[in-house]
Amino acid sequence: MTPEPRPLPPLWTVRTPTGARVCRREGDRFIPTRTPWLRDRLALLRVFIGNDFRARYRAQALGVVWSLLQPLVMMTILSQVFKRLVGASDPHFPIFLLIGLLVWQWLAASLNSATLGFVGNADMVKRTVFPRALLPISSVLSYGINAALESLVLIAMIPFFPGALHFSVALVAIPALLACLVVAMIGASLAAAVLNVIYRDVAYLVQTGLLIFYWLTPVIYKPTQLPLHLQAILCWNPVGGVITGLRNALMYEQLPSAMEWLHVAVPSLVILFIGVLVFRAFEREMLDHV
Amino acid sequence: MSEPILELRGVGKTFKRFDHPPFLLRNTLTRLFRPAPPPPEFWPLRNVSAVIQRGETVALIGRNGSGKSTLLRLVAGAAYPTEGQIALRGRVAPLLQLGAGFQPDMTGRECARVNGAALGLSPTTLEERLPLITTFAELDGHMDTPVRYYSSGMLARLGFAVAVHTDPDLLLVDEVLAVGDTAFQEKCLARIDELRAAGVTILFVSHDATLVRRLCVRALLIADGVLAADGPVDEVFARYAQLPT
Repeated sequence: MTPEPRPLPPLWTVRTPTGARVCRREGDRFIPTRTPWLRDRLALLRVFIGNDFRARYRAQALGVVWSLLQPLVMMTILSQVFKRLVGASDPHFPIFLLIGLLVWQWLAASLNSATLGFVGNADMVKRTVFPRALLPISSVLSYGINAALESLVLIAMIPFFPGALHFSVALVAIPALLACLVVAMIGASLAAAVLNVIYRDVAYLVQTGLLIFYWLTPVIYKPTQLPLHLQAILCWNPVGGVITGLRNALMYEQLPSAMEWLHVAVPSLVILFIGVLVFRAFEREMLDHV
Repeated sequence: MSEPILELRGVGKTFKRFDHPPFLLRNTLTRLFRPAPPPPEFWPLRNVSAVIQRGETVALIGRNGSGKSTLLRLVAGAAYPTEGQIALRGRVAPLLQLGAGFQPDMTGRECARVNGAALGLSPTTLEERLPLITTFAELDGHMDTPVRYYSSGMLARLGFAVAVHTDPDLLLVDEVLAVGDTAFQEKCLARIDELRAAGVTILFVSHDATLVRRLCVRALLIADGVLAADGPVDEVFARYAQLPT
């Protein structure tokens, strides 16, 4: 007894040199239509993120403890160096540093891993079919889980640095700031991931670029310590804006000004826009190169 | 009643030639001063048009390098055509390589999850089918072992088991039926028969004439990147035998 085959969906996927479209069919012609595509992708994204996160700690005895240890060690070393060599006297400086380092670690880790995402999973990219953009996006978001866990270190520091962190209404700025950061990171990751397949130099470019960008971002200093003419340019660095915004919200109960919001949101969206454009332009060619 | 599930219209694919890697800085600079003639075009696949109806099992045959696998990759969506159009509907399960996308540190269970999700199965459905998949792949008790400890046979069985349990409408198989021992091959074929009985359309690449005759009525012959014959298996094999060597 043969079960009645379920009906085929009425919509067609049509692939042409310019990309894939979902279409309905009228006679011999295919007419593009819109479809709800988000739900399936979110389900797949969840699997990817979970897998990415677990894969990071596979076959390790300490697992996630490593990523808690790193910001702690960095914070201790840097604050000692600054205290002894530069003579910095702010007792809350370690907290100030830790906020910057947590954001930076998220950025650097997710960019580096997203850049290698397609090349490292060449087998999967070449031989299976899924929305390719999900791979770099899941790198960014799964390191977001790490960042969230690492933030527990920040909370653990409260008793050691009384008065450094304040809980006020200014905390409402945090989700919006982090959203801008994620937007910027996804944009950069999409472009870096797809370009790295075609030009393998990109991985080195990203590494070197991050090294330079580290010093252009107020991770271990305050933006106001820069000369004015540099401040005028570097205020458009969205990562710096996010770090400063987080510090102001957490340590000084300050919400970002309208101008500061502008300096964070506009470049983040520009980066996302460019990243998406680059990704779409090279996505199909990339498949021939992996 | 015929119901098309896959339509190829004038499909062609070219790849970059690597006589002069175009994207090395050195070459780009030389090219600026001394424009090189464009490299000769290489079309692994050109002008392929065919319609496959739902429920058909169609074999793609041809010599090594004739473009069969490229065609299968294009249908799967793992690459895009350079010209022409590929239209298909329903859920596609590409089996281009068994265990594609498995990462050595992932456990068998996790591989099945990621693979199933990429093949369009919802996480809840996958969890329901995991016992079936495990039994089919004969991996009871090994699903929590990282796959780097798997033998190649175990990997292939898991890859096949996941793909054939994802409710595909169109199954694309590239030479992967030749895995495992005879008993497992028989099991795969039995499963393929089940899928065919359930109305699943199958497009597969094979060099094994016996297998092709057993599974299909229709075959497509690809020779030098063009569709050289399309029709009943015996006729197409006869045409294959006549190809100049």
